[in-house]
Amino acid sequence: MQPSNLPTIFSITESELDLNDLLAQITLPNTGAAAIFTGMVRGETRRGEVHDTAYLEYEAYVPMAETKMKQVADEIRVKWPAIEGIAIVQRVGKLYPQTPTVLIACTAAHRDTGVFEAARYGIDRLKEIVPVWKKEVGTNGEFWVEGDYLPKPGE
Amino acid sequence: MRVKLLFFATLRDRAGMKFLELEIPEGMTVQELKDKISADYPNLKQSMQSVLISVNKEYAFDEAVIPANAEIAMFPPVSGGSWDS
Repeated sequence: MQPSNLPTIFSITESELDLNDLLAQITLPNTGAAAIFTGMVRGETRRGEVHDTAYLEYEAYVPMAETKMKQVADEIRVKWPAIEGIAIVQRVGKLYPQTPTVLIACTAAHRDTGVFEAARYGIDRLKEIVPVWKKEVGTNGEFWVEGDYLPKPGE
Repeated sequence: MRVKLLFFATLRDRAGMKFLELEIPEGMTVQELKDKISADYPNLKQSMQSVLISVNKEYAFDEAVIPANAEIAMFPPVSGGSWDS
């Protein structure tokens, strides 16, 4: 199947992430494996500076974020040509502990095709180049969480 | 020429606005725009040291020339995804 016919989902949404629905959308007749990463709001942080989080508020520069998500999906297809479907979805707005905020899922015919690595690459790249930010509100007050990656020309 | 400048996250908080429409000379570079913003908006001066800039939804660097009617955005390094680090 040509890459252009393979399902690629990339979106910013304010709606609850429906993991089953997203998985169904990237499952093809010959799919036998899916690697799904989802990250959620952690209410209690024990690593590093111990504190509790009341909620996170996410915002995105939506049109650019979706362009960059598409770029991440394209990069995955170049690195792991056996990948079939890709879903990259970021939820924005006020999100409370134990709520999934992001989903990266990749499907393939078999599990030894790089499907795990592809999903890992997807979340790592999202955190580098997709313009989304979060503000933490909790016992330490309210502050913007800033990343540290500086995109290079061509990214 | 006219351009639109959007602010996100800390930049928006410090600017006190979501966007700005402004007139800039033809041939202005991203670095020159940062200098202009630093001069015109003292609140943003410090942010200009580490700001990321996009022009028409692609990352843009200091020497890039800004085209007419560009949609420019200024924001801090991204922090999306999950709260998993």
